[in-house]
Amino acid sequence: MVYVGIPRAEPPARQDSTPPDPTAPDPTAPDPTVPDPTVPDPTAPDPTVPGLACAGATSAGATSAGSALIEMVDVSAGYDNRRERTRLVALRDISLRVGRGEFLAIVGPSGCGKTTLINMIAGFVTPLTGTVTVRGEPVEGPGADRAMVFQDYALLPWRTVERNVEFAIENRRGRVPGPERRRRIDRALELVGLAGFEKSYPHELSGGMRQRVGIARALVGEPEILLMDEPFGAVDAMTREAMQAELEKIIAETRQTVVFITHSIDEAITLGDRIVVVASRPGTIREIIDVDLPRPRFDPRHDIKRSGRFGEIRGHLWDLLSGEALGAGAGAATSSEGETR
Amino acid sequence: MTQVAPAGPRSGRRVGQVESITVSRFAPFRSAAVTAVNLLVFFVVWELVARTGVINPLFFPRASEMFAALYHGFADGTIWPQLAHSLTNFLVGLVISAVIGIPVGLLMGASRIADLILSPYVWAMTSLPRVALIPLLILIMGFDNSMQLTIIVLSAVFPIMVNCMAGVKTVDPSLLRAGRVFGTDRVQSYTKIIFPFTLPFVIAGVNQGIARGLVGMLIGELLGGGGNGLGFLLNRAGQQFDAPMLYAVLLLLAVMSVSLIQTMRWLEQRAAPWRAGAAG
Repeated sequence: MVYVGIPRAEPPARQDSTPPDPTAPDPTAPDPTVPDPTVPDPTAPDPTVPGLACAGATSAGATSAGSALIEMVDVSAGYDNRRERTRLVALRDISLRVGRGEFLAIVGPSGCGKTTLINMIAGFVTPLTGTVTVRGEPVEGPGADRAMVFQDYALLPWRTVERNVEFAIENRRGRVPGPERRRRIDRALELVGLAGFEKSYPHELSGGMRQRVGIARALVGEPEILLMDEPFGAVDAMTREAMQAELEKIIAETRQTVVFITHSIDEAITLGDRIVVVASRPGTIREIIDVDLPRPRFDPRHDIKRSGRFGEIRGHLWDLLSGEALGAGAGAATSSEGETR
Repeated sequence: MTQVAPAGPRSGRRVGQVESITVSRFAPFRSAAVTAVNLLVFFVVWELVARTGVINPLFFPRASEMFAALYHGFADGTIWPQLAHSLTNFLVGLVISAVIGIPVGLLMGASRIADLILSPYVWAMTSLPRVALIPLLILIMGFDNSMQLTIIVLSAVFPIMVNCMAGVKTVDPSLLRAGRVFGTDRVQSYTKIIFPFTLPFVIAGVNQGIARGLVGMLIGELLGGGGNGLGFLLNRAGQQFDAPMLYAVLLLLAVMSVSLIQTMRWLEQRAAPWRAGAAG
């Protein structure tokens, strides 16, 4: 892949800088009220949010500190239920910056709106209020600069592995011409360890192998941003660890910016430069945690999970999320709608 | 099926390899042999029971008589023209049904408006017993062959239509999202995702169309009074108390429908191998 870890010659973003886009609302403006009859008005905004929302500028792991690649300002999102004439607010008051080359993990209870968040960056979901920008440009739909890895793989079952990977670079947008295409496919398959499986069909592969195809497909277009929606949620625990290690290795090579959704605390800590903890009903950012653990996290010589710092972060996250899980239990039935995809 | 070998020491990554296993050379023929023996036993038992005479031979002939009637029927030219007539009619009707049913079904699946407009008629025609149409069709077309053809098409076209529609409507939404992420335009989302996804549904629809179309073919020939086809043979054999011939035609019909359905099943497995016996 072509991305190298050279920071762009941009001035470091100030803590309270507005994005260059003139249409973006001023984040210091009064909190926009969300027109929603079903959800009571929130209490005073969480005081931890504004300070931490810009922590990307100081992120330990970000290769190019200061240049926000993805920026969300006062975003809320929801789903209309036309039959009942109600709107379910899935996310509220989300302000978030993702630095170039950063690995951002998002954890939260199911139904907290994590998927909605990533879908807004992908361009599937339009925010009700606020702005989502990538490189300062508002997101107006999917783009070749953002690729996605899906929890359910979303491979075309009638295509072989290589044809599935090719899918990402053969369509109208992001089309790569002939000879270059072959080279890219081989490279992507090599990267995820699928060389030799070019002619296999997805149904002949295990879950872990299928997700390697999904990752190869996301990598082959050489996108700047990799969006991963619980990519290892459906594979077994052993495979999961192996795939996490490989993902770290791949990202170290390709230098992509990753937004990674998970509900596994351990996965978030082992992979993320920062962890966004999302609270549910409606989804708000509870806290953003810097993971100051050295890389590579997967080092055969010592197990990072046994380090004291890992345990501290883990304990802190556990406290945050166990309270969340108990609190969210009452409305679990309706909150699950917030994650409909 | 592909096997996953343990991680190779060279690259540290998984390497796929296909290992050969030993299988008896006769394994593919085993089920065919069982079927052959099974049928042989069936006809022998039939023959023996019929020979005891406990059932009136007027409507229960011996198996050997049936085969004799079949042989003579082909030899003296009573069966073949009727069989050819029925087969031709049926295949032409099926092709017409597919040519109409597949595009209309796909359109109904893709367009909400087309679905809203067409679905009352399609569902009414799908659930209406086909026999009920015979008097009307005779009124319109008389005892002409076009009446027989029409009833075949009316029987086969709606299952094909409904299945095609269902295929488009049940297309996996995450595949469509993947399409959007990876840059398909509207046309490409149809040609690369929706239509391939629908193909097994189309085949299933044609399969149902065959079963329904055969019924349509027979009621057209039995009740349409056209004086030809296998249905006509059945009618005549019944009126002449020719039980062996009656059974012979029934056997022909059974062979005909089983071989058509088997052909489609084979086609289905070729067209959508991921649906049959997907491992994990």
